[in-house]
Amino acid sequence: MTEGRTGLRLKVFAALVAFMFAALTTRLWFLQVLAADQFRDEARRNAVRLLDIPAQRGRILDDNGNLLVKNRLSLVVTVNKQEAGSHLEDELYRLSNLLGVPAEELAARVEDPRYYVFQPVPVEADVGKRIDFYISEHQRQFPGVTVIQEPVRVYPEGSLAAHVLGYLGQISSEQLDDPAFAGYRPGDEVGVTGVEATYERFLRGTEGVVKYRVNSAGQNLDQFGEQQPVRGQDVVLTIDIKAQRIAEESLNLGLQYAHGIYDSDTGRDLQASGGAVVVMDPVTGGIKALASAPSFDPSLFVRSMSSDEYERRFGAAKSYPLLDRAIQGLYPPGSTYKPFVLLSALRRGIVSTTDYYPCPPAWAVPEDPLHEVFHNWTTANLGSITLAQSLYDSCDTVFYPIGYEYWRRYYPPTEPPVEQIQRDLQAFGFGRHTDVDLPFEQQGRVPDAEWKSTIHKQYPKSFPDGQWFPGDFVNMSIGQGDTLVTPLQLAAAYSAIQNGGRACPPHVFDRAQEADGQVLRSWHARCHRIPFLQAQIEYVRQALTQVPLQGTAVSAFIGFPFSEVEVAGKTGTAQVFGQQDYSWFAAMTQAQGRQYVVVALVEQGGHGSSTAAPIVRRIIEGLYGLTNTQFTAGGETD
Amino acid sequence: MDVVATKLYRWERRPLRHLDPVLLISVLALGIVGLVTIYSATHASLVAQEIDPGFFLKKQLAFVTLGIVVILVAASFDYRFIKVYAGIIYVASLALLVLVRTPLGTTIRGSQRWFQLFGFQLAPSELAKLALVAMLAAFLSQLRSSDLSLPDLYRATAIAAVPGFLVFLQPDLGTSIVLMAILVGILVVAGARARHLGVLALTAIVLIFGALQLGLVKDYQIARLTAFFDPQNDPQRSDYNRTQAEIAIGSGGLLGRGYLKGTQTNLDFVPEQHTDFIFTVIGEEFGFTGAIFVLMLFALLIWRAIRIALLAKDPFGTYLAAGVASLLAIQMFVNVGMTLGIMPITGIPLPFVSYGGSSFLTNCAAVGLLLNIHMRRLT
Repeated sequence: MTEGRTGLRLKVFAALVAFMFAALTTRLWFLQVLAADQFRDEARRNAVRLLDIPAQRGRILDDNGNLLVKNRLSLVVTVNKQEAGSHLEDELYRLSNLLGVPAEELAARVEDPRYYVFQPVPVEADVGKRIDFYISEHQRQFPGVTVIQEPVRVYPEGSLAAHVLGYLGQISSEQLDDPAFAGYRPGDEVGVTGVEATYERFLRGTEGVVKYRVNSAGQNLDQFGEQQPVRGQDVVLTIDIKAQRIAEESLNLGLQYAHGIYDSDTGRDLQASGGAVVVMDPVTGGIKALASAPSFDPSLFVRSMSSDEYERRFGAAKSYPLLDRAIQGLYPPGSTYKPFVLLSALRRGIVSTTDYYPCPPAWAVPEDPLHEVFHNWTTANLGSITLAQSLYDSCDTVFYPIGYEYWRRYYPPTEPPVEQIQRDLQAFGFGRHTDVDLPFEQQGRVPDAEWKSTIHKQYPKSFPDGQWFPGDFVNMSIGQGDTLVTPLQLAAAYSAIQNGGRACPPHVFDRAQEADGQVLRSWHARCHRIPFLQAQIEYVRQALTQVPLQGTAVSAFIGFPFSEVEVAGKTGTAQVFGQQDYSWFAAMTQAQGRQYVVVALVEQGGHGSSTAAPIVRRIIEGLYGLTNTQFTAGGETD
Repeated sequence: MDVVATKLYRWERRPLRHLDPVLLISVLALGIVGLVTIYSATHASLVAQEIDPGFFLKKQLAFVTLGIVVILVAASFDYRFIKVYAGIIYVASLALLVLVRTPLGTTIRGSQRWFQLFGFQLAPSELAKLALVAMLAAFLSQLRSSDLSLPDLYRATAIAAVPGFLVFLQPDLGTSIVLMAILVGILVVAGARARHLGVLALTAIVLIFGALQLGLVKDYQIARLTAFFDPQNDPQRSDYNRTQAEIAIGSGGLLGRGYLKGTQTNLDFVPEQHTDFIFTVIGEEFGFTGAIFVLMLFALLIWRAIRIALLAKDPFGTYLAAGVASLLAIQMFVNVGMTLGIMPITGIPLPFVSYGGSSFLTNCAAVGLLLNIHMRRLT
């Protein structure tokens, strides 16, 4: 049957088959020639697994090379599911008995999706040596179970400088999305606060990696590449553990001491619910000690914690010990603000160092129809006094008219508004971040008309007034009203007075170095001059030297060897609505070729002279190796 | 015509003189490609299990040897006997398809398709392919008119539909597709009108739709098919096979990654890689060049089959050869197309290349028939 019609039909049939071949060839061309590179990449990703070897985290040292944070090896029980195989369930029950952890809990940990099938999963950390021995002696009952040693953070000085050091925690999902954390994976430990967070990039080191070839079941076939981890760099701080210790001790003693002081304003003993101390080198901006009370034990963060325990340890009942009051606490500065207000007034020609000014017990804004009276802290009339005396006696009624003068210059408002005092205060660093190298710093507040109207619109209940009044300037002149500072801002501003008008950003970082001490990076000071006459700054500094000698802090410094150590300072008693007064003292010292600025704040600690000044005195004594004096009943002077 | 001339003429016409060497060589070449790739696909996992890495290679070598015998046997008798017994063969194959549904049959991976016999697995669906080819060829070659009437077309369809439906129930969607392709292939050659074929296609679509509605298709089959039609939207991850197969073939590039060097193959990423997905091994390790070479072997094979259909001395031989050509072409197309992601995953082996005796021997028998027709075209 070779007739033409069959031949034709077979040709149709052949055409159909040819069409099949054409389709296959076209597709092959696309897959193997056009898209080959992409598929080759995918095949590589399919067949290779990367396993990280964590790098040892760098240590943290103080100024003199004392260890503040190091690593210790912790015994960790790990389970390899692939090796355990079908015995896994029995094995977890045996482990449960051994470790005292419920078997369901262990089973949940073993299924942690962060680990590959062939990778050992850590199920319990910090177990005793006994468990290690037991498991290795009964290894047959525990196929795939290994006890390994893993580094964890350890704090040789306990809770010392806990707020500065910070602690580690699991990386958050926000951080994982952040390009700054490229290369991190879920479950990685990362610095959460303090130096651990700021200098994460130095401390972390570089993870090593092992390349495994795996098959489709994820089973490890062989290892074909390895890159050793690079240990993290050590971070050396400007913190001095001796200074830090004396600061923390003095603060805690001061708080205890304050608890026994009767506060006549409220009719109760002082609450002294918390406090902060900053010790700073005014020349470099290096922070020698940074204390915040109450404090916490950073080693608690080595293991996980339930939210109940977290609340119990770090909640309101414990006055939020995790809060670093030195950089995150916002307080009205009270009279400690006066030197800066005065320098502004001198700069703007409102007052003169050669003139005398009345210091009456009270003062009222002229032509104020309500005739609101602003009182001095004392009811005595000090008569006509110099500006220097207005500082060391902390005369409020000299400062009120200065505040009013700013109002006269401001009102009627012009465009741009004349807000001279705000600008000058900002030049000292108030109302803006000090850019200290610690996370979550608060920027404080230098209020102005614009701020007041904005905040009123946002929170009309808490801020019932949206308008800027003469009283706002008057309050600002004595560091009250809506003014807020952090203890560190105040320390940085006093540093600028002490060093003659240079503002240096405060910092705790000194250098990053290798384990053998080879320095890799050092702190670059970025100091700048502030726009105040050096003579006026020196006038203010000299005035402040009289504060412990004959001014408001005289009672706290009785018997202090001023011939050995020069101390200038300023007390502050800040009023906080509904609470006892907040006690401030800021000091500048100079002796033995060393300068310090020491600022202490005690929440609800009463007068500056009664609580904060004795704390600062004790710290100064410690810093210069003087004999520590007992806390004395400070006077109730400002 | 003198005696010598007559003798010479007879000698000239002796069947043995008319083997088709091209056909045989292409089949043998495909068988060797199969051996080479089966070793590559299996040695790594066998070593991992501490079994002789040549385990599958040796078994397949036995099948190849047995296949040559089967070819010779299928070519040895006059194929016209098949026309006589076509009815009996056809009914017997249907009986086996029914029988495999009884407890006599073995279920492997959710599909009841095999008889366990003396340690061998026997799939009646393989026999059904050949039986259908024979039955359709016998039926159509009896018809008088040279064009196919619509009633005859329906009869032929009914002949194919019965085994097709039985196989579909196993469930074995792949073999159902092959049986239908055999029907279409033979009908085209037998002179079915395009319009009639269109009606047939429409009926098929309605039936498939009905089958889906009645729940006759298993969930995994629907999942596979929907994964094929919409690979992005696939919650069941049933396109894993497809994706891995594409990665394997695509990563081969123009020249391949080298024999025994394909990671997709050696590390078990492609499932069923020595059976249904053997083409991925060829694509990965020998690249575009190797894949085209194998397709050329198939083209050669199918060309010879069509040529034999043309040369056959009777309509039965033509239809028989056309049926075999359809059988080989559709299996090749569905299998390779599946690994390339242009056909749904159905579990059809690649003729002569994939590991496995049942399909290899069936295809050898089919080639034996082609040879048979070719050898006897002049007698």
